[in-house]
Amino acid sequence: MSARRILGGVLDRGVVPLLLTPSLVLLLLILVGPFFYMVGASFTDLSFSIPGRDGNFVGFDNYRRLVRDDPVFWSSFLLTLRFVVWAVAVEFVLGFALALLLYHHVRRRRFLLTGLLVPMMLAPVAVGLIWKLLLQGDFGMLTYYLRAVGVIDLRTALLSSPDLVLATIVAIDVWQWTPFVTLVMLAGLLSLPREPFEAAVMDGARPYQVFRDVTLPLLRPIVALVLLLRGIDAFKEFDKVFILTGGGPGSATELLSIYAYRVNFKNWDLGYGAVCAFMVYLVVLILCSVFYKAAFWGQAQRKRAGGRAA
Amino acid sequence: MKRGWRALAIAVVAAVLVAALTPYLWVFLTSFKTRIDALSGTPVWLFAPTFEHYPQVFLDKGYLPLVWNSVFIAVSTTLLSLGVGTPAAYVLARHDFAGREDLFFFFLTTRMAPPISVVVPMFLLFTALGITDTPLAVILAHSTFNLSLVVWVMRGFFADIPREIDEAAMMDGNTRAGTFLRVLVPLAAPGLAATAILCFILSWNEFLYAFVLAAFESRTLTVGIPGLITPHGTLWGQVAAVAVVATLPIILFTFLVQRHLVRGLTFGAVKG
Amino acid sequence: MGVVFERVSKAFADGTVALDSLDLAFDTGEFVLILGPSGSGKTTACRILAGLETPSSGAVRVDGRDITRLPPRERGMSMVFQNYALYAHKTVFENIAYPLRVRGAPKGGIDRAVRDIARMLQIEAQLDRRPAQLSGGQAQRVAVARALVWQPAICLMDEPLSNLDALLRLQTRTELKRLHAELGKTFVFVTHDQEEAMTLGTRIAVLNEGRLVQFDTPRRIYRRPASRFVAEFIGRPAMNTIDGAVAGGVFRAGPLELPVGRPDGPLALGIRPEQIVVCPAPTPDSIAFRLEVMELVEPETLLFLRKGPVALIARVLRDLGDLRPGTDIHLELPPQARHFFDPRTGARLE
Repeated sequence: MSARRILGGVLDRGVVPLLLTPSLVLLLLILVGPFFYMVGASFTDLSFSIPGRDGNFVGFDNYRRLVRDDPVFWSSFLLTLRFVVWAVAVEFVLGFALALLLYHHVRRRRFLLTGLLVPMMLAPVAVGLIWKLLLQGDFGMLTYYLRAVGVIDLRTALLSSPDLVLATIVAIDVWQWTPFVTLVMLAGLLSLPREPFEAAVMDGARPYQVFRDVTLPLLRPIVALVLLLRGIDAFKEFDKVFILTGGGPGSATELLSIYAYRVNFKNWDLGYGAVCAFMVYLVVLILCSVFYKAAFWGQAQRKRAGGRAA
Repeated sequence: MKRGWRALAIAVVAAVLVAALTPYLWVFLTSFKTRIDALSGTPVWLFAPTFEHYPQVFLDKGYLPLVWNSVFIAVSTTLLSLGVGTPAAYVLARHDFAGREDLFFFFLTTRMAPPISVVVPMFLLFTALGITDTPLAVILAHSTFNLSLVVWVMRGFFADIPREIDEAAMMDGNTRAGTFLRVLVPLAAPGLAATAILCFILSWNEFLYAFVLAAFESRTLTVGIPGLITPHGTLWGQVAAVAVVATLPIILFTFLVQRHLVRGLTFGAVKG
Repeated sequence: MGVVFERVSKAFADGTVALDSLDLAFDTGEFVLILGPSGSGKTTACRILAGLETPSSGAVRVDGRDITRLPPRERGMSMVFQNYALYAHKTVFENIAYPLRVRGAPKGGIDRAVRDIARMLQIEAQLDRRPAQLSGGQAQRVAVARALVWQPAICLMDEPLSNLDALLRLQTRTELKRLHAELGKTFVFVTHDQEEAMTLGTRIAVLNEGRLVQFDTPRRIYRRPASRFVAEFIGRPAMNTIDGAVAGGVFRAGPLELPVGRPDGPLALGIRPEQIVVCPAPTPDSIAFRLEVMELVEPETLLFLRKGPVALIARVLRDLGDLRPGTDIHLELPPQARHFFDPRTGARLE
């Protein structure tokens, strides 16, 4: 067998392993490796700040500490959940409404959409910076107008008020990500087949009935997808909050990622920090599986329905 | 009735556009304001512009290398992810094998990985390997999310190409690998371009990985931003200038990729 | 009174004119066929009647009432779509029940009505299944059931049989005819298949390029087509048409010569394949044609004949085992079977 033949064979039958391997190797290196390292580190007492703690094995001590002795973690967890629920809910409602408005009543969409997309294309750090400037207590443009209109009083600054800061962060997230929801929902609406709508209209359905009985059921997989993507990304939120408040005032906006950052890179308590990081990963993974099953099961159903039913 | 809705729609869209663009516009303006104008208690909309902040921060403060770092890292991770991910996407689109769906899910989870969870062990690992504060560290880190993006989106593009094309190419004498390189990749070129731009944007905008893994020599532009915000007096004109340079190229890129944006953002789930 | 299209025109945004001043009127209770090739405007006419499109000009009336701008749900019509358009996420029962639910009918009434129509269409066994589990024919019957369950005065059908295979199409055709007879509603059926139109309708409206060409019973359309287009569209195989001219009372087309009692001038002659008489031996009135191809479609035979530039197809029921391609055949074109058309306008000449 000539060398040429062998090479040809590899390029043909060996294609699957040949083309797949580099990606798997890379992922192994940059994800799987670190993942196991993290799990491993979570069982040690590694710390860069306390002398003598250079990675001795401590069994489940760190995990016990998380569950029993760290109320800050759990309040941060709850805070993050509140953030996620509020942000995603508002983004979804506003984004969907805007998508419907654009779909039904606006023709030249292309141009408008590009302008609408700006908030979500900006680096999240930059978004944090922009709003930090706008909401500055002494010279923030928005602060000035909010006080002028009477929404806040002359001594309050949104970012330094413990009562208002979480709502402010949610609002900024809404500002940044509602365009994403709009974009995806609009794409979803445009991808719907025309015929079930005409059938419903011929069956005598009024506009709100058509929406309830045809539009929503057909959009369900896309809605699930949007909620999943936004939910998970909101849970991971770090960049803008880091710049805007650093987790403050106090710990009023210390989301989980920020708390984990503090433990690892401010306190340098890396063994325990690995547990915190691991917990964040776990929650995201669970959310991901749940929604994946729900969303893609729906898609598979639609595929089978393909052919004659619209 | 229809007239009324249309008027409402235009009003709403106008309001939304104003809300979406004004904040950015404000920072843009601020980058050209003198210190007095920028820190004025009453917002200043009309002013005499100054161009001093840009050279001050990029030349005097040495922020220009940060631009280069951002470019270099973004381009490198894009090339790496495309080079490694596109063949994988082809395999996942065309060949059936045991565990294929599980592999998909695995690629999806890599996109979902919280940066804070990945960066902690990565930091330890890279410190041990001695590659922290090098572009390589950030390039590898960014490839975690870019690789899965490439795999998922390109798989969709390959799946859209009819199998008959593969078969015709093989009848013409190509091996499978040859078919991939000579026929499918050129056909999927628009998808490749759009995905490349998306990878570039995601890497350029990224903060946490770059911040932890390359905090000094190989800092990217985004990492440079918090450095200018200090408790004792931020030079807002300069920070604004950095923010503008960090964001303007991306906005321009968005125009280019807008058509494929939905596909990329939803990982191919919605064709848009 | 019934349904009236009054000078209905429709032009789309890109400039295509789908309907050009359509005037059509038919009575309630009829089974009206709207027939035409693609692009003839037949689907547009149906959709305008349904209310899914609005005409650019003209009016549509039902029993004297102007419904041109009314939304579909106020018109008292239902529609069966070409691709059935069933609700994929609902069961068959729910699909059929939907028009009743949406109109607020009482639950018990809904149940009864759905089961009745399902029985009539023989899909009772499918009521609990989902559209994805149905065969083409079953899905189509669900679509019809949904359109009839609330007893609309008019039922519109837009090429409902096009996606069925040949055998199913024939069976369903018969069923639709039976349904129409049983229910006594007005059916409006759109199709491009002339055979479907000829077997189903009480009257056929033939459309071409957005205009109504003829509106008549199938028999009259067949025997007295109003134009060359109708003559060539109906019948399988279609009517033979020969372009030629009359001089001195004789119609000439190439080597073909035929005495006709018509004034001089250009003329198009038409004759249906089955009305050409094939003579075993030459007669005083016969004309010799060369037989090129014979197609045996039991129990008939199709003869493809030629005389110079003139080509004819004849359809014969007799056993012609003795005929051979390449030989000459003697044909008679009986005077009562001849149709004449204006070669320029295509209109029928008496």
